[in-house]
Amino acid sequence: MKKTLFLISNLLIITFLLCGCTNDMSRKEIDEVNLIRVLAIDYDQNEYVLTSLFSPSGGADPESGEASEETTKGFGKTPYEAYEDLKAKAKKAVSLGHTGYFLIGDAAAENGIDICFDFISRDETVKMDALFYITKDSNALDFIEKGIENKQKIHEDLEAIKQKQEEFVTRNDNTLVNLLNEMKQTYSSVLIPYLIPDESSFLTPGYAVFDQMKLRDYLDEETSAGVNFIKNIIRNYPIYLEDQVGLLVSHSNTKLDSKLDNENIVITIKVDYETMIKEVNTPDSIFTGDRIQELTKKQNQFLYEVINLAVNYSKATGLDIFQIARMVEKQNMKEWRNLESNWVEIISDIEYQYKFNSRITKSFILG
Amino acid sequence: MEKIINSTNLKALFHKSGDIVQRQLNVAHSGLIIHIFGVDGLMNTMMLDETILQPLTENEELKNIKTEKEVMNYLLEGGAYHAFAIEVTDFDLLIRYILSGMAALVFDQEQKALIFDVRTFDKRSISEPSDEGVMKGAKDSFIEVMRTNTVLIRRRIRSEYLVVEQLNAGKLSKTDIALVYLSNIADMDTVNRIRDSINNLDIDNISTPAFIEEYLTDNKKSIFPQIMYTQRPDRVSANLTDGRVAVVVDGIPFVYILPCQLPMLMQSPEDYANHYIIGSSLRVIRYIAMILTIFLPAFYIAATTFQNQMLPPEIALSIQQAKQDVPFSSASEVLGLLIAFEILIEAGLRLPKTVGTAMSILGGLVVGQSAVEAKIVSPTVVVIVALAGIAGFILPSQDLSSGIRVTRFVMAILAAVAGFFGMTAGLIILITHLCSLDNYGVAYMSPFVDVETSNHKDTLFRFPIKYFTKRSKKIVPENRVKQK
Repeated sequence: MKKTLFLISNLLIITFLLCGCTNDMSRKEIDEVNLIRVLAIDYDQNEYVLTSLFSPSGGADPESGEASEETTKGFGKTPYEAYEDLKAKAKKAVSLGHTGYFLIGDAAAENGIDICFDFISRDETVKMDALFYITKDSNALDFIEKGIENKQKIHEDLEAIKQKQEEFVTRNDNTLVNLLNEMKQTYSSVLIPYLIPDESSFLTPGYAVFDQMKLRDYLDEETSAGVNFIKNIIRNYPIYLEDQVGLLVSHSNTKLDSKLDNENIVITIKVDYETMIKEVNTPDSIFTGDRIQELTKKQNQFLYEVINLAVNYSKATGLDIFQIARMVEKQNMKEWRNLESNWVEIISDIEYQYKFNSRITKSFILG
Repeated sequence: MEKIINSTNLKALFHKSGDIVQRQLNVAHSGLIIHIFGVDGLMNTMMLDETILQPLTENEELKNIKTEKEVMNYLLEGGAYHAFAIEVTDFDLLIRYILSGMAALVFDQEQKALIFDVRTFDKRSISEPSDEGVMKGAKDSFIEVMRTNTVLIRRRIRSEYLVVEQLNAGKLSKTDIALVYLSNIADMDTVNRIRDSINNLDIDNISTPAFIEEYLTDNKKSIFPQIMYTQRPDRVSANLTDGRVAVVVDGIPFVYILPCQLPMLMQSPEDYANHYIIGSSLRVIRYIAMILTIFLPAFYIAATTFQNQMLPPEIALSIQQAKQDVPFSSASEVLGLLIAFEILIEAGLRLPKTVGTAMSILGGLVVGQSAVEAKIVSPTVVVIVALAGIAGFILPSQDLSSGIRVTRFVMAILAAVAGFFGMTAGLIILITHLCSLDNYGVAYMSPFVDVETSNHKDTLFRFPIKYFTKRSKKIVPENRVKQK
């Protein structure tokens, strides 16, 4: 009797504890669902256009052996309305559970990314590590259609972009969870990588900069690299010196430190990094103590210029693209209360100091 | 019938049984008649002739004997060339001795009998264990004869503390049962409880292992085995030295070990024959296989029917493509194939070995392949069910494997009804059930649920033998030191 009571009470506890899970109890066979691989969000003529791109569940065409990607569009005054329209128009039920990439068109980004993110972040099936990109100077739909015209596999090309990003940076900051987190920082700018079409693939030269959730600008490749150095996410970065020597940053560690001096903020950027010699096209020997020292100075100067591009951009535009506000708040909690209200003005007056500590380590000459 | 020992009563009792032999013997032609009773085929007649009858008929000294008492004294004091001779005054005991194959010399006037153990019967020779074979290790296994089995244990533990208690159960079968334990290690409360359980058996016949298993287990409703059995004497001796109790039943070619915990059922003799890292790795694989066999079909159903976002996109697409044109739902596919798998196993057990191979090919390859080609089941489901099935056979204990097979069905049904919610509920119920089981005062999930870390050295991982310094406190309250 005791055991029966124990079992019944257990079952009741389980039912109460897990009752939240029943919200997602809609039974749907996997072959009755179209799994959206890429979702494009555009804003055109005062309405949002959502384009879903999915691999057909029937698999490859038996004659050509290729699985063509299919698209479905939805229109609405808000992204969610457009998504519902898309669901209604799709042949089968659709799911965001497998959407690995979200492309946001230029116009939609200008209209505000928070509007685009809202319905996505409320979908309980969406992957938190889904990646977001902005399509530069173009609608995301046009971007996809051109890709399909060029017989590109869009999601495979985006996968390649992701892998390429991972080759150069230690983490992808354009995931849903990270961007949602960044959007919470009221005083900081959100950065999302932008895409441009290449011959038969895509490229991500740099970041799209957002001011108050609206697209403000596109950073060039070097400025974006400077941002990456300051964000301390550099895995590899090539350095080309004028004297025909090519180097590769193989390890980098950046530390930011803030000091407050009568409302003047001094940010010290300390970069420790190691480089490998990758190319030497000069007849002079570079493997002497003096030459190595000279090259070290030059590579520090090179990196200074790269980082300074990003710093100058921040100062010129008054955009906190390095999330300085968060750091200052953490390091100077009391003073932050006074700074908070004038932060937009203060950001342009921040003084940056640089410290470079670098080593040229390996030459990899065989034999 | 009045229960007095005499030849008339015995003849009356056995007069319809053709296999009971009885013979009158004129002691050394003195005119003093005694009766011999025994079961034909169970007695070694040559031994009976040489050790008992010959001295009784040919010894000249006996010619002057006048009373039965004198004959009895003569035989007990060395007249019979036989080591085992006891005097019996209880009629029921006499019947039991006779029916177990011993020779009884009945003295009518004295109303007593002398019993001589001249038993012999055809028995299987000791062979390799069929279910627990090892590459590196002993190759002997128990047989159907209780005494041979206790000898196999005694050979391994030559300690004066090894106790082999002789018990008896079955109102009609009078099956011999030996309770084996080390008196200086085993918890006597446990021994007493097991002895009581056996003595309280109120059953006619112990014909199959389940008869005794069900009486020795506390929670009879659980499908998980709460009594461990083994064919291997080395395994029994290892468990005896750990403080457990062995039950040897005549007629059953394996030995039961109590108390039994779940981790014991996941251990294989190979674990100790190999290097401890290899042994641990194999054991981890076994645990992974157990999880796979229970949850893989359920996970597939839940993921493909309810929460497909749990699957990586490429796998989801692959499953989608495989399921195209298959008319059944994932749950029907999996459950149907699981039932087909069970049918194949059952058929394989009943069929003769020669036909079995052909049936495996027919069932596994031809039917499976054809079912996939005919779009009755998707290839992914075949892989899932086959993987779950094979994983189930990795488990060393067949009883545990059977219990898990049933659990697999329950989990699959729960997943079909409520997806991961159902699976989670099932998992919680399963864990609650396993944790609620108790076996002779020791938790079934022990030592996983034990606080004492020294007990964890032979569970998920097999530590080097030198670290097995203490016996489990739950099993052995005292004398816990195994080695220093």
